[in-house]
Amino acid sequence: MTVTPAVVEEEPTKKGLSFKLPLDETEMGLVAGIVAAIVVVFTGLPAVIKGIALILAFLWGMDSVRKTSKYGLGTGVPSIGVLATGFGVVGALVGLALAKYGSIEGVAPAVLVGVILMGVIGLVSGILSNNEKVIAMKIPKLERAMMELGMAGTLIILLECSIVTGSLNFNAVVNQVMSTGLIAFMFIFTCFGLLHPYNACLGPDENRERTRMVAVEIAGLICAFLGFAMIILSSFSWELGSIVSVTISSPWKLWNGVSLLIFGVAVWAYFFRMFIKACMDEAYETVGTGMIKTIE
Amino acid sequence: MEPILIIFWVVVGGLLASLGAHLLPVGGAPAAMGTATGIATGTVQIMLGAAMTGLFTAASAATFTDSLLLVALSGAIGATVMICVVMLMANILYTFGCGIVPVSGRVDVDPLTKEPQAPYKTPQTDGHGVPNVVFVSGMLGGFVGGFGGALMYFALLNYADFTAGTAAIGSLSIFVPNAIIAAYNIRGTIEGFHDPKFKRLPFAMVTSLVVSLLCGIMVVIASYLTVGGTM
Repeated sequence: MTVTPAVVEEEPTKKGLSFKLPLDETEMGLVAGIVAAIVVVFTGLPAVIKGIALILAFLWGMDSVRKTSKYGLGTGVPSIGVLATGFGVVGALVGLALAKYGSIEGVAPAVLVGVILMGVIGLVSGILSNNEKVIAMKIPKLERAMMELGMAGTLIILLECSIVTGSLNFNAVVNQVMSTGLIAFMFIFTCFGLLHPYNACLGPDENRERTRMVAVEIAGLICAFLGFAMIILSSFSWELGSIVSVTISSPWKLWNGVSLLIFGVAVWAYFFRMFIKACMDEAYETVGTGMIKTIE
Repeated sequence: MEPILIIFWVVVGGLLASLGAHLLPVGGAPAAMGTATGIATGTVQIMLGAAMTGLFTAASAATFTDSLLLVALSGAIGATVMICVVMLMANILYTFGCGIVPVSGRVDVDPLTKEPQAPYKTPQTDGHGVPNVVFVSGMLGGFVGGFGGALMYFALLNYADFTAGTAAIGSLSIFVPNAIIAAYNIRGTIEGFHDPKFKRLPFAMVTSLVVSLLCGIMVVIASYLTVGGTM
């Protein structure tokens, strides 16, 4: 009688998971929300600190997208990321309009009213989407996720406006962000920052740590892009789209832009390398196929 | 600024966006393999593309006219042209690239031209390409959606007194949630007005009404605080 040898289960090596923010989804939401809210209120902070808050806000939004999309939306992951950005721009408009009320030199707490109002709209749309009698999507906790997405989207757009203009003045934002067309880039980049991490990583072996690396990596790229935009904006004086003078109008903005560009590129390079390494380590085997052979 | 007019046109635009998303031929991932009718991508991408093209034409028209109808119609024409080109190119690729005939999967006889559909359908699939009735439905969808988007742009530009860039991004941002809620209502794929899923339209309309009403109120707040004026 032959004895079949017991199958030796190979322990999967988890060397790549060095990125451990020790926070679960709820804690991450609270920490990111509070930090981003504090940073967005103090408008005079250096751009790099705003960039760190931006990364946290993207991690929060990515978590919300992930826990909703896990159940299958029927329309693909991109829809919920674009929804969050759409809500975010409307909320940011209200927040910017409110910013001048009750603000003292560089502190604008009224901005957060826009975030809260957008949270309410997100909650209402979540309740209607999940209600049995209306759209009946039947996704657990969709109400909370849509509320979080509205708030995270608004905080992200406000932080990006705050980084580029250095203030939350409505007219400054209109002149430097809306009329220069920067908002179109911001819209698409924010969409991708929210939807791409889960959209790219989803599958049977998706895990949260690896998906978060992509979120941080894209947030780094956005920081680099915003830093570049700041450098361009600081060297010209913009008057509703036409170049008036080609002088360095604001050295403060120039140095902030340079530091943010360096910070963004460093974050992107570090996390891109970490992500590729994690994929290589967690895969069963990585083999090269060589070039495609042509038939002669 | 006129708050009632802003809220009215934003709500009308949101409802039209929702209706437009229901009329478009959305194929999703199955259409990318040629096993479902429609354009091979999600509602969001098709509707966003159509709305953006519509906003470009509407913004061009708004620079030289103050007529609401003219701006809205030019937006509608822009979106229709974009959707028609996409549907035509999809048909060319499916027929000459994959060698399959455009055929509807949901009806046995085309409701408009009375052409038989069932004999041409490959078994186990859900139709292919963009047949006649779906093409007409898609044209209507693009027209209605572009009209709605341009109405919102006009309201934000002239009644809320935003600058052109702010009005464009604001109307796009209100358009997008309405189109996405409609996409959730149709669960991914739809052929057009002859599809059984089209009967779910009232549910999306209710949600769209509430969401665009709230967004309209947000726009009124923003406009009142920045531009000022009499309520």
